[in-house]
Amino acid sequence: MTHTVRQHAVVTLALLLALPEPARAYLKFSVQTLRAGTVTLRWDASRPVRYFVTNRGVPGVSASDFQAAVARAFDTWEAVPTASIRFQFAGFTNAEPFEDDDLSVLGFQNKPELERVLGATGFVVDVLTGEIVEADIFFNSAFDWSTASAGQPGRFDVQSTALHEIGHFLGLGHSALGETEVRGVGRRVLASGAVMFPISFGPGNTADRELQPDDIAGVSDLYPEAGFRNATGAARGQVTRGGRPLFGAHVVAFNPATRALIGGFSANTNGEFQIAGLTPGPHVIRVEPLDDADVDSFFSGEDAVDVDFQVTYFERLFIAPRGGVGGRFVVEVRPK
Amino acid sequence: MINRLLPLLFLLLPAPTLATVFIPADFAELVTGCRAIVHGRVVDVRAQTTGDRRSIETLVTLTAVEHFKGNLGSTVTFKVPGGQIGRYRRVLVGAPVFERGDEVIVFLNATSPSIPHLYGLSQGVFRIARDTGGRDVVTPPPVMAQGIGAERVVRGDPARRPLAVDEFGRKVRDILERVR
Repeated sequence: MTHTVRQHAVVTLALLLALPEPARAYLKFSVQTLRAGTVTLRWDASRPVRYFVTNRGVPGVSASDFQAAVARAFDTWEAVPTASIRFQFAGFTNAEPFEDDDLSVLGFQNKPELERVLGATGFVVDVLTGEIVEADIFFNSAFDWSTASAGQPGRFDVQSTALHEIGHFLGLGHSALGETEVRGVGRRVLASGAVMFPISFGPGNTADRELQPDDIAGVSDLYPEAGFRNATGAARGQVTRGGRPLFGAHVVAFNPATRALIGGFSANTNGEFQIAGLTPGPHVIRVEPLDDADVDSFFSGEDAVDVDFQVTYFERLFIAPRGGVGGRFVVEVRPK
Repeated sequence: MINRLLPLLFLLLPAPTLATVFIPADFAELVTGCRAIVHGRVVDVRAQTTGDRRSIETLVTLTAVEHFKGNLGSTVTFKVPGGQIGRYRRVLVGAPVFERGDEVIVFLNATSPSIPHLYGLSQGVFRIARDTGGRDVVTPPPVMAQGIGAERVVRGDPARRPLAVDEFGRKVRDILERVR
């Protein structure tokens, strides 16, 4: 299918927003469609997803270095044993990311209007069907980049950024598993529990080339390999404050045996959440506000995110079943 | 008893690693880095093709209630990536979405003579909502250091609460005074 921006103007439809899907683990994108209702944004996993790479490098990173680093990041997602998704490098191209040309393109671009943004992923979605027409990833050439195997001081790691952006490319939203610190002026990341945590630690580091349990649960939930759902369990419940549903709480399931953290959100107006991909067994459930984050990078919708409450633990251990969803529970948070 | 042990179990966290995409900014960096800070209400949201006609962007127009920094006039228009024209919607992950009637404080930048854009994308947006006490507050609360040394940002810290709009404005002006 070929479409151009000019052709887009021919048909005018009601505004349909891409929204985080409610009541599931992590954040997955969904889109309201005219024909199919609300659908989860995901690729057809029955065939490889094709992508192109721009044929331009930047100082310190040639086009072929860039392509190789990006391919390693795609391979990392493809290697998740509980997920079923494949990719295919379709070649170098003169096309640019974020052109509406039906091609999924990754490449460097200079975008002065996206200062403080290392990279970003964009989709073109057909709102009649929910089909992904293309997805592009840009890497901001205003920064210095490296593909060195051990990283390079002062330069951001292409492969780490690619791994995060490819998570979006697959349909995953941001994770809130991370923490930061502020100094007199400036802020930096101390730790994160997911590649999909939205903010960067700093140049020279390559630790983010590996997926974490939250990322693996997310991609496995989107593209489950046979057996994934039978081998793992899910927690579901509701977050309330003063007995009323609370929208936008971050809900974390921590498995003391494996030390895995998997996060979800109360992402609908009923305050409901569901965290899938849990290893069977006991979990600690912690509910916390997104009061240290720009909530617009997590949610895009009409409902106000409530951040004015204290960290609250579910009073019992939650036992994730093997295959299926555990009993529904309610966490009543304490106001600040 | 188990109640007391649950938080302790969280101390068994995995070793830290890194994340990507945004270069994080604290509140002072946002205030000093942008060219204008505007409190306003969204009166128009309009998708259009980009100047090179290759993609889609959205123009968001505010009626300004107050300028905390700079002065862009009583009506302010800025652009955000993405939008919908016809049956196709371009979504940039992490880019804020605005609707008519939204009340916001936006941190704007511009590479003259272009239309202003959000400084730091979603980092440059603070939304105004009514709290349970019926007060209009800015959310999320700004993240900023209280002293000179490093301070861990603790999620759920009772000391960091959504601010009333005038308190928010005072914090902006305090920062601008300090750097003057």
